[in-house]
Amino acid sequence: MKALSFEGSGMEYFKIWIVNVLLTIVTLGLYYPWAKVRNNRYFYANSTLEGRNFEYHATGKQLFIGYLIGMALFIAYVVIGQVFPTGGLIVAVIFMLALPWIIWRSLKFNMRMTSYSNVRFGFSGELPGSYLNFLVLPILLFVVIYGGLALGFMMLMGFIGGGLIVGILIMLIVIALGIFAYAYMKKRNTSYIINGTRYGQGEFTTKVVTRKFVNILLKTFGLGLLAFIGVYALLGAILYFTVGMDGMKTMMSVQKDPAAMQQVMGGMMGVVMALGYLLFIIASMLVLAYSLTRQRTYVFENTTLDEKITFKSTLKAKPLAYVMITNFLAIIFTLGLAFPWAKVRLARLMLENTQVSTDEGFNAYLTQKVKEGSALGDQIGDAFDVDVGLGF
Amino acid sequence: MINGKWHAQGSAAQSDATLRSADGVSFFIDVQDGANYAGALDTLKISDRLGNVERKITLEDGSIFATSDNNAIDMLFNQHSSANGILHRIETNMGWVVTALAVTVLSTVAFFKWGLPWGSEKIAHALPHETNQLIASNTLKFLDKYIFDKSQLDAERQDRIREHFKTKIAPLSAGEDSEIVYKLHFRAWDDGSDGIPNAFALPSGDIILTDKFVELSKSQDEIDSVLLHEMGHVVRRHTLEMVIEGTFVTVIVMVVTGDSNGLADMGLGLGSLMLSSNYARDHESEADLYAFEHMLVAKINPISFSTIMNRMTEYMEELDSDSKTKTEEDKKAVKEDEKTILDYLSSHPPTEQRVEIARQYSECFKKGMTTCDIVLEE
Repeated sequence: MKALSFEGSGMEYFKIWIVNVLLTIVTLGLYYPWAKVRNNRYFYANSTLEGRNFEYHATGKQLFIGYLIGMALFIAYVVIGQVFPTGGLIVAVIFMLALPWIIWRSLKFNMRMTSYSNVRFGFSGELPGSYLNFLVLPILLFVVIYGGLALGFMMLMGFIGGGLIVGILIMLIVIALGIFAYAYMKKRNTSYIINGTRYGQGEFTTKVVTRKFVNILLKTFGLGLLAFIGVYALLGAILYFTVGMDGMKTMMSVQKDPAAMQQVMGGMMGVVMALGYLLFIIASMLVLAYSLTRQRTYVFENTTLDEKITFKSTLKAKPLAYVMITNFLAIIFTLGLAFPWAKVRLARLMLENTQVSTDEGFNAYLTQKVKEGSALGDQIGDAFDVDVGLGF
Repeated sequence: MINGKWHAQGSAAQSDATLRSADGVSFFIDVQDGANYAGALDTLKISDRLGNVERKITLEDGSIFATSDNNAIDMLFNQHSSANGILHRIETNMGWVVTALAVTVLSTVAFFKWGLPWGSEKIAHALPHETNQLIASNTLKFLDKYIFDKSQLDAERQDRIREHFKTKIAPLSAGEDSEIVYKLHFRAWDDGSDGIPNAFALPSGDIILTDKFVELSKSQDEIDSVLLHEMGHVVRRHTLEMVIEGTFVTVIVMVVTGDSNGLADMGLGLGSLMLSSNYARDHESEADLYAFEHMLVAKINPISFSTIMNRMTEYMEELDSDSKTKTEEDKKAVKEDEKTILDYLSSHPPTEQRVEIARQYSECFKKGMTTCDIVLEE
């Protein structure tokens, strides 16, 4: 097993990034596709395993037409949404119906534009699979959770028959069912993307099962519950010991100097509000880091390339949460200027905790020829190169 | 001599190789345990330099020579590809980077502070009046269905206010925008207790007054001042401006976060909220000024505006605190709080400032002036 490494640096990327931003500004956004290519090239080319690197091959020109179409549609959507809310809804539904196709095209395009050691990746998943994964399952999940919760809630409140106990029971069942449905969707998504991925003539396969995802999600759910209760308790305690005490003091000294007292309390509330916002973000990042690292570990160890080359994730929740939280704070406090540094840090952490068995070697892999689709179809597909992945 | 690796076309297998050029015109690639290549340098395709990442040189048969010896490559190919290195030269020149940073920061601030409001105003006024009607169409129907109830005010009072508005107030806007047709609507806005006092305008020129607002107003001047404020929103096309500004902010936020890892989103949400409330505040101040100036012309004391505004605010605060049964001290503390933190989030300018401007206009009014210079302390 050998770990990947990242050879770029925050300072070097900062310079590339700021020039990208500048050029995007002075061209009123038209430079964006070329900026994106330069960004991606930097991150791919600096990711190495055994002295061989990844590469991003798309060109700005390839992305440009798609970018223009995507922007025009997006602006149209925002305008329609702002002017007529119902019209926006219709556009959103149409977009939802088109999304699986867009995702499918993007997966094909982005994989094809990626190489490792001079061999291109590919994606051979079929379109119906994309509709199942990115339209049917999400809708089912939505219906199960919201429909069930609404039903339980209405019984709880006595709007419809059933009563309190049945209402609570239904809600508990819905939560359990929701977690199961979500786990099932995760499993399908993971299988669809990984099993469709090719490296040269090589095929990736994953053998993930729903039960394991249920396990991880249940723990995530519990951890989330604990974290938010903890934050609430902490905030309550802080409020009690600051504003609560002040409130008592005010009662005693209200005749002396009420104006000053209000000042103190006003400032205190502001601090507590800001602290609450921050604590919730930190808590969500902790929970997110937990869920992400567990899934990553599980998926990696059940994935192989041609049943010979195996993978392993050594990423732990705490270091990931630490990097996420400090990145977030750095970006906020520098008003975005720390973004390049944050991105490099996260990439380095992710790569250094990705291991690959290299005994078999990659020398036998060859880039495969692909059937060229219609030129127009390609261009439209390129246009929407949405970044779809498993998030790790 | 440049050391590197050689890959056959599309193959992951690599061999050590060297690249030489004796005269700067032709090249010779020596692949260990493999073929040798010779030819003219200008038949080779070199990837652009980017930081210090490995360079790929594509030969005519599709095979690749890869090397990290960037400086040697740059020297060798200098005369063949002048355009290739420009971006890299900018990226590695400290002066350029600092300039880019300064331009980026300044133009971002300037864009949101002046560029976007200015551009939105220009676009809003360049669009035909039909756009306003388009936005407003169905809005009143929607509000009637979900928010408002039929007005409980007696018909006589409604007619009196309408008649006064038609003969005295609406004509004040003569010569501003002949396409706007002002129309008053009375509605009840019930929140479960006593009704909400409010007045607002649709971009088409329909102005809606709630029953509670009419009830709270103590004079015709107070109603007129609020009506003029609403007319100010309509004439200045504030709704349309908000739509345009909203579009820009959404698109920009999407483009910015689309590039990020998703973690910055949480901060950006708050940022864009602050931004749009900031624009809304500017609109309120603009509508205030419109009202004050027209009141001077119509010989209505501008102080009426701050009187009715204060009364509405007090009423809402009382309503708020009654429901929470707070002590007097709590109420004051909460008020103090709102001033310090929520100022940034509020879509209305600070009340003291509005009162102060109204007071100064009122001074002008008392002197019988028809224009007024406002002095505001920061």
